[in-house]
Amino acid sequence: MTSSAVDPVQLEQVRQRVFLALFIALAVTLNAVEYLLPSPLPWFRFGLANILTVTALYLYGSRAAWTVALSRILIGSLLLGTLFSPGFLLSLSGGLLATLLMTSSFQLLGSRIGPVGVSVLGALGHAGGQLLIAWLLIVQHPSIWLMLPFFLLFSLISGMINGLAADMLLDFLLKHEAFARHKTTREFPSQTSGSDVT
Amino acid sequence: MALGELLQRLTRFDRYLILCLSLLVGVSFLLPFGRQAGARLIVEADNRTVFSAPLDTPRQFAVEGPLGMTRMEVRNGAVRVLHSPCPQKICIGLGEARRAGDLLACVPNRIVVRIEGDVEGAAYDLLSR
Repeated sequence: MTSSAVDPVQLEQVRQRVFLALFIALAVTLNAVEYLLPSPLPWFRFGLANILTVTALYLYGSRAAWTVALSRILIGSLLLGTLFSPGFLLSLSGGLLATLLMTSSFQLLGSRIGPVGVSVLGALGHAGGQLLIAWLLIVQHPSIWLMLPFFLLFSLISGMINGLAADMLLDFLLKHEAFARHKTTREFPSQTSGSDVT
Repeated sequence: MALGELLQRLTRFDRYLILCLSLLVGVSFLLPFGRQAGARLIVEADNRTVFSAPLDTPRQFAVEGPLGMTRMEVRNGAVRVLHSPCPQKICIGLGEARRAGDLLACVPNRIVVRIEGDVEGAAYDLLSR
C-alpha cells in the first residue's frame, strides 16, 4: 500500500465514504432480514437499520446520517419491491421525520444527548411520521389513533434497545485505529462516570 | 449484562428524555383518541341481531338467550346489563358501554351488545385489506 504518500485529509474522506457504504449495506441487510421476521402488525417493526444511522451520526455527523437513512430507505424498498407503494410512502415519511429529529437533536444538544436518546427520539419520530401520513393519505378514520399508544410504547422500547446497540457498536468501532480521529469528537459520559465509580 | 452497566451508557439528558417520553406514552394510553360517543346499540343473540336502539333514549329491555332473559338498561348514553341468568355475572361486572366499538358480552347466554358510532362510520359496506 502506498497510503503513506496520500494526503491525510483525502484519506479520511475516502475512509468515510467506504465506511458509509458499508453502513448502508448493513442497514439494507438488517432492513431486509427484519422484513422476513413475522410481526403482529405491519407497522410493528424493530427498526434495526436505525442502529447504523445513529452510528453514522455520531461518527461522521448529520450529513452522513441523512445519507445512510435515505439510501437505506431507497435501496431497501427497491430490494423488497415496495418502491413507490403506500408502504414506501409511510416508510419514507417516518424515516424523514426520524432523521430530522435525530440530526437536529444531535446538533442542538451536542454531547449532552447520547446515542440512546437520539435513537429513542428517532423511533418515536418514525412512529409519529408514519401514523400521520397513514392518517392523512390512506385511512382517514379516527380509529387509527387507537393504535397510537401501543405503537408509541413499542417504538420507545425498540428505540432504547437500538440506541444501546448503537452505543456498543460505537464503543467497539472507536477502539479501531481507522476511527481514531473521532475519539476526540465524542465524549463518553459512560467512561467518565465509570471511572468515578471504580 | 447488568442493568447498571446499560444505564451508564445513557447521559443524564438521555435519562430525563426517556422518563418524559415514557410519561407521554403513558398519558397517551389514557386518552380515548378518536373514540366518539356511540350512537346506537346493537344486541346479538346467537350471532343474529335481535335488538337495536339509539343510546340517547333511556329504556330497559330484555333479550332471550339459551339460559333465559338478560335484562339491560340504557341510561345517560350508556348501556349496562342489569340482570343475567348466567352463573358468574361477568357481564354485569363489565359495567357500562358508551363509546363506539365498546362491547358487552354474556358468553354463557350467548348475548353480545355492540356500540356503533355515528352514521359516518357505518357508511362502509366492507373494508378489505
